[in-house]
Amino acid sequence: MAASVIAGSPRVPKRKRALTHSAPAVVLVGPFLLVLVVAGALPAVYALVESLISSTTGGFAGLSNYLTVITNFRFLPSFGDVGLLLLVWLPIMVVGVVGLALLVDASRGRFGKTMLFVYYIPAALAGITNFMLWLLILDPNVSPIAFFWKALGQTSIDGLLSSPINVIWILAAMLFYEGSGSWLLIVLGGLHSISDEVIEAAEIDGCNQWRLAWRIKLPMIAPWIGYLVLMNFAYGFQIFLEPQLLAAAAQGILSPQWSPNQLSYTYAYSVGNTGAAAALSVILLIITLGLGVLIVTKTGLLERS
Amino acid sequence: MNSETTLETVTASTVKPMPTTKGMRHATAGTVVRVAVMVLIGIMLMYPLAGLLLAPTRTESSMMHGGLAIGTWANVQYAWRQIMGFDSGIFVVWMKNTVVMVVGGAILAIILSVPSGYAMARLQFRGRSWLIFATLLFMVMPNTVLVIPLFLEVATVHMLDSFWPIIVIYGFYPFGVYLAFIHFKTALPMELVEAGRMDGLSEIGIFFRVAVPLARQAVALVGFFGFVAGWTNFFLPYVLLPQTQSSPVAVGLLQMISSSQLVNPELGLNVQLYMPELALAAIVAMIPVMVIFIAAQRYLQRGAMMGAVKG
Repeated sequence: MAASVIAGSPRVPKRKRALTHSAPAVVLVGPFLLVLVVAGALPAVYALVESLISSTTGGFAGLSNYLTVITNFRFLPSFGDVGLLLLVWLPIMVVGVVGLALLVDASRGRFGKTMLFVYYIPAALAGITNFMLWLLILDPNVSPIAFFWKALGQTSIDGLLSSPINVIWILAAMLFYEGSGSWLLIVLGGLHSISDEVIEAAEIDGCNQWRLAWRIKLPMIAPWIGYLVLMNFAYGFQIFLEPQLLAAAAQGILSPQWSPNQLSYTYAYSVGNTGAAAALSVILLIITLGLGVLIVTKTGLLERS
Repeated sequence: MNSETTLETVTASTVKPMPTTKGMRHATAGTVVRVAVMVLIGIMLMYPLAGLLLAPTRTESSMMHGGLAIGTWANVQYAWRQIMGFDSGIFVVWMKNTVVMVVGGAILAIILSVPSGYAMARLQFRGRSWLIFATLLFMVMPNTVLVIPLFLEVATVHMLDSFWPIIVIYGFYPFGVYLAFIHFKTALPMELVEAGRMDGLSEIGIFFRVAVPLARQAVALVGFFGFVAGWTNFFLPYVLLPQTQSSPVAVGLLQMISSSQLVNPELGLNVQLYMPELALAAIVAMIPVMVIFIAAQRYLQRGAMMGAVKG
């Protein structure tokens, strides 16, 4: 950018440059572009095509697959379940992560660094190990917090999961436990971008740590918080692993079609109705795509690039 | 500018000592509360984890009252024998499968991400901004949304249970492209690229001779994050690799858990799989990630700001 300004006549050299770079760009970008099409764009388009084809006749099905999906008895409840989960989990996630970030940011030196490491550890055990941990936590007989379950009168994991609202709380706790560490780093990155002068000025003006966090730091990391909310909304909405694992642990207690993605999986696998699976995927894809565009264009991710 | 001068004047004036002492008195009361809260949260997060790590040293019956306790090494050995006895040691097959597909995917991710990140950061070409937009879009969309569409695609070309589709999909790593993009944008001096052009190197030549030797940080980060993302991925291999023999350890473990006496007492296994055994299997399954994590520490710290964009 600076070079073109110095050159004085930015137009002509720029166009020339664009021409000279396109051949090497094809070589360098081409392989990635190919994979982007094969593993990103093509499956999406293919799902759209499949969703319009009847699985039984192989002919054009119009919107009948969509009708099948929407009228499924688990369709609305699965969105309701996930909606309720988002309602419970997102506030916990946002308040928890931002609160922890402000606490760590206020603790300079070794103590802050150590605590950051401790808070990050749960994020390092993603996936199945995390689930095994929760299987241990949730079994009232062997749990490290058995005293807690006893106080609540819970005696078995099946009993615990047979209440739908317990499932929501448990999933919210699982998602917070595994997700907070990475997001803590991101929000801290935002806090570190606040210049020292601003903080010093506020301290000199008589701001205590509490007011500093509430009045100065919090408004300044608003873009990061927006990113946190939207990305986690998109993730929570897509949830598959956690309810699928809970359903496997408490067989027959929790519906294996708890979330929309699980319903889509059931259509593809257990039922073998690819048209319906594709239709549901397309519905999820459109919502996620909308969220994605919102994140990329509105949270400043593009400008930072 | 204006506020800075005010700031300096204020700092220089006599106002300074007063708020500082006042601030300190506030800080000491506030600090105690803050430290106490932070330590308490830390304990709450670590306590269940300690339970998981200690579980293999205990026996199922000794765990019956909950809480924490340290058992014996003999119990760990017993638990390991049970894991190895499950389905004639299929646990080892799962670990090997995971290494093959995840390392393959991470290497492909590096090969694809580094050049394209470089081109997006340093070259002018038509469609560049669209490509950046598409990369960011795929980066922020949860990858679970494409799993069922990918399943339909892979099933159509009859490649279920093959590692190749998995490796290609793991190799498609927009976050890696983003990391490489940021790296070349911020850490590669433009003068070096210009010097390369002066010396008559082609753009491709500049990439290989100038950019690649300086890309160690980007390669390490893409490799690390790609490896961890692949190792912990569950949904994709769960759907694309239906056979037990071709499962990665994450999917295999779910099967082990589902068929254990813990979850399904009626099934009648040849081995005893209860909490201590399953906890050990879950811990062993994560050891490669921990090893890579420690090995990549140096690069992670330097790239903390870059890596902080996505977990």
